[in-house]
Amino acid sequence: MTFLDWGYILDALPDLFRGLGMTLMVSALAILFSLTLGLIGCTLRRSRFKPAGYAVAAYVEFIRGTPYLVQIFFVFYGLPSLGLTLSIFWSGVLALTLWASAFHIESFRAGLSSVSKDIHNASSSLGLRPWHHGLFVVLPIALRSALPSTLNTVVGTIKNSAYLQAIGLVELTFVAVDRIAQEFRSVEMFLSICVIYLVVILGISALGHRLEKRLNRPYAAR
Amino acid sequence: MDLLYEYRVFLLAGLLETLKMSLVVALGGTLCAIVLTFGVTSKPTLLRRVSFGLMELLRDLPLMVTVLLVYFMLPAAGVSLNPFWSCCAAISVWGGANGAQILRAGLASVGNGQRETAAAFGFGPLKALLLITLPQAMPVIIPPYVGLLTALVQATSLGSVVGAQELLRSGQVLIEQTTIMRGGSPAYLVYGSILVVYFTLCTLISAIGGRIERHFLRPYASGAEVGAKAHAIEATIPTSA
Repeated sequence: MTFLDWGYILDALPDLFRGLGMTLMVSALAILFSLTLGLIGCTLRRSRFKPAGYAVAAYVEFIRGTPYLVQIFFVFYGLPSLGLTLSIFWSGVLALTLWASAFHIESFRAGLSSVSKDIHNASSSLGLRPWHHGLFVVLPIALRSALPSTLNTVVGTIKNSAYLQAIGLVELTFVAVDRIAQEFRSVEMFLSICVIYLVVILGISALGHRLEKRLNRPYAAR
Repeated sequence: MDLLYEYRVFLLAGLLETLKMSLVVALGGTLCAIVLTFGVTSKPTLLRRVSFGLMELLRDLPLMVTVLLVYFMLPAAGVSLNPFWSCCAAISVWGGANGAQILRAGLASVGNGQRETAAAFGFGPLKALLLITLPQAMPVIIPPYVGLLTALVQATSLGSVVGAQELLRSGQVLIEQTTIMRGGSPAYLVYGSILVVYFTLCTLISAIGGRIERHFLRPYASGAEVGAKAHAIEATIPTSA
């Protein structure tokens, strides 16, 4: 008998891919929602209405200063007694979204503040309307400088979806740990999920780097 | 609140364990980071590639997977550790990989001219590193490193997954017990309080980090350029877990 039982891995593959499907589903929803919430939060943070700005800043600090696992438990076990009962799946989506949007707000804010005031003056002297200025001048510049940290958070969302096994969401890590608990094939299972996670995460990182390169093209000559 | 006060000794024991774990992973993570940094900046190609591969592997895998992997695989490799040390080991190597990324990028941010000048003045490699390069890299290294330290402290909550008796595990036990004995789940209260405790801890670390950062920024007329370099590194590491 060899060290690795390839047949066992092959048998487990359908289960693992179902788990991967769940991982990707939860992550995709959370990425979508958190990017949206990030934009809204960032707008509030920079708005002239100060209390909203402070509230968003406090939210960002709180999420960044607390462990993600405790946030998950609070959402899944704590919110029902406060009147909000969600399924495991939606608890997971909510917890991931809350976590990721805090980081998105912060990177969008940093991206927007990297756009200098001179550009604003330049646009208005060219006669651009405010929304033209925002959409075609500020946004591309801000997006470019916010991209690395935004990508870090997007990839982090997928990685952090593994934490959801702690509340019993049947995603990739849960499938592996569940099988290990029953059949004790830890080497095979961990090798499989490590490879799957690496392929997904490196794939998405590579896509992100291509996007970064594409957005950096106008600056490449310098 | 009465509940928390009633079980204060139990919860404080959990907090103490969390603090112990935090200290161990902060030290262990830094040690791993230093070793890995020497690895990825070393001359021998094989050593450099292996260290680099290890660093990237640990940075790309979810921390939850690393913690579970160490917990389940070490016994198979003939090493038996209790949950406390197994979890500390996993978080330390994870922190080491991210710390190495910070150190490597921070040291690279110091111009090559500095090293060459140091060599021209007869400084050996180690002496040049410690006396010339590192002090200049410090203001770039400190901000992301403080972020990483708060992530390491937060990561100790993963101990509850493998059964280390830290704060989160104590909270879980308390919730289970009171739900069974008294009915009605105090989960929001217990987990809410744990969130506040961690928040206080991390805010404290950030505040201390801020002071250290200001100390190293003193020689600079404007910290803007240094700040931008630090920020660029911070965008590539987790500052929360």
